Amino acid sequence: MDYFSEGLAKAVQLLLSLDPETFSAVWATAEVTALALAGSLIMGLPLGFALGHFRFPGRRAVRLFMDWMLSLPTVVIGLIVYALFTTRGPLGEWGFLFTIPGMAVGLTLLGLPIILTMTATAVESTDVRLTETLLSLGADRTQLLFATLSEARFAMALASASAFGRIVSEVGIAMMVGGNIKWQTRTITTAIALETGRGEFATGIALGIVLMLVALVVNLFVALLRRRAGS
Amino acid sequence: MSALYELRGIEAAYEKGENVLHVPQLDIARGEILGLAGHNGSGKSTLLKLLGFLLEARAGSLTFDGALVDRAALRSGHLLRRKAVLLGQETCLLKRSVAANVAYGLKLRGLPAPKELLARALGLVGLDYAQYGARPWRQLSGGEARRVALAARLALDPLALLLDEPTSGLDRASTEHVKRAVLGARENHGATLVIVSHDLTWLSSCADRVLTLDEGRIVNGL
Repeated sequence: MDYFSEGLAKAVQLLLSLDPETFSAVWATAEVTALALAGSLIMGLPLGFALGHFRFPGRRAVRLFMDWMLSLPTVVIGLIVYALFTTRGPLGEWGFLFTIPGMAVGLTLLGLPIILTMTATAVESTDVRLTETLLSLGADRTQLLFATLSEARFAMALASASAFGRIVSEVGIAMMVGGNIKWQTRTITTAIALETGRGEFATGIALGIVLMLVALVVNLFVALLRRRAGS
Repeated sequence: MSALYELRGIEAAYEKGENVLHVPQLDIARGEILGLAGHNGSGKSTLLKLLGFLLEARAGSLTFDGALVDRAALRSGHLLRRKAVLLGQETCLLKRSVAANVAYGLKLRGLPAPKELLARALGLVGLDYAQYGARPWRQLSGGEARRVALAARLALDPLALLLDEPTSGLDRASTEHVKRAVLGARENHGATLVIVSHDLTWLSSCADRVLTLDEGRIVNGL
């Protein structure tokens, strides 16, 4: 147990002394998570709304595809994005491999199906009488869309929180596409994997504490939303 | 003065089903309170949806406020629905406060929703603004929610108010409030009302005439 308590004490010291290497990983995580979450939300919210609200041919197939994307192993996503961005790949000239934007693309593919399917479900499960109520109150088509979206706001915020939790804690894509480069693409999760492998528990624990605090804040936020949604 | 609604040879149905409403002729005068009675599934709610422009007739013609309601007019159906406001059979409130729910229709029309107006609309259905205004939708009983939904329609002062079972789930005192609100909408704003109800005693006490529907046809009261 000594090594654990020593590791914990050193971890606290690293955090309190704002250790540059530790905080470089924290900053890289914040950067890549923000980019990936923004990408997932910008595409996922309108597409999820369309999937939940409109009835069109092939809708079920799209839904099945998105459900399948949800269960896709992250290493497979990492492999696909790596293949796209490698110098011999179709998007190799973009120079995205082993960069924060490249990792963000991979993590967006992870977050997008979560936002999209949860938003579609939220819109589908809004009260079936809602459309009739809004129309009878005089809503035009645009107002109907925005009002329905607004009624599903708590569920969509939950979707965002879920996607955030998944993106921030991901390791496979970050490792494969980011390359775990110190001071550049090393995130909290890839750093923990590396430091633990090297027996450097203190750094691993310090970063683990940061990740757990983030998870706690996200969970508190989700609990608050659930209460507000009355669910 | 011409009738507010003129229906001729109307045949209506839901989506691809069989016709469930057949109305050879029906005129509803301006300022009239028309009651609709009949068994479940007799076509009352279908007729109300047709009058509220939530359902398009398969055949026949419908004239509202002097203008023929054709497919082109229904493409801008929200303009018609802002004149003829329907309260559906089942209550559905937005996930907002009582005041926000009552103000919502005004907001959709780009109209101001001063507190006095909202308080008056709530007062018409027997709810006190100070007590209920800030209350979230989920803290209302079924009867209170029903009255809030009605207040939201009354606040709009529509040309026609179409009420589907407005008193369902309400106690006697609340039912009286609704009756006063209905009569007040006509007296104060000249509204035309079409009311569906199973409570024939209450309906007869409000309406100028009561039509009975059976299997989608008006069988008496013409």
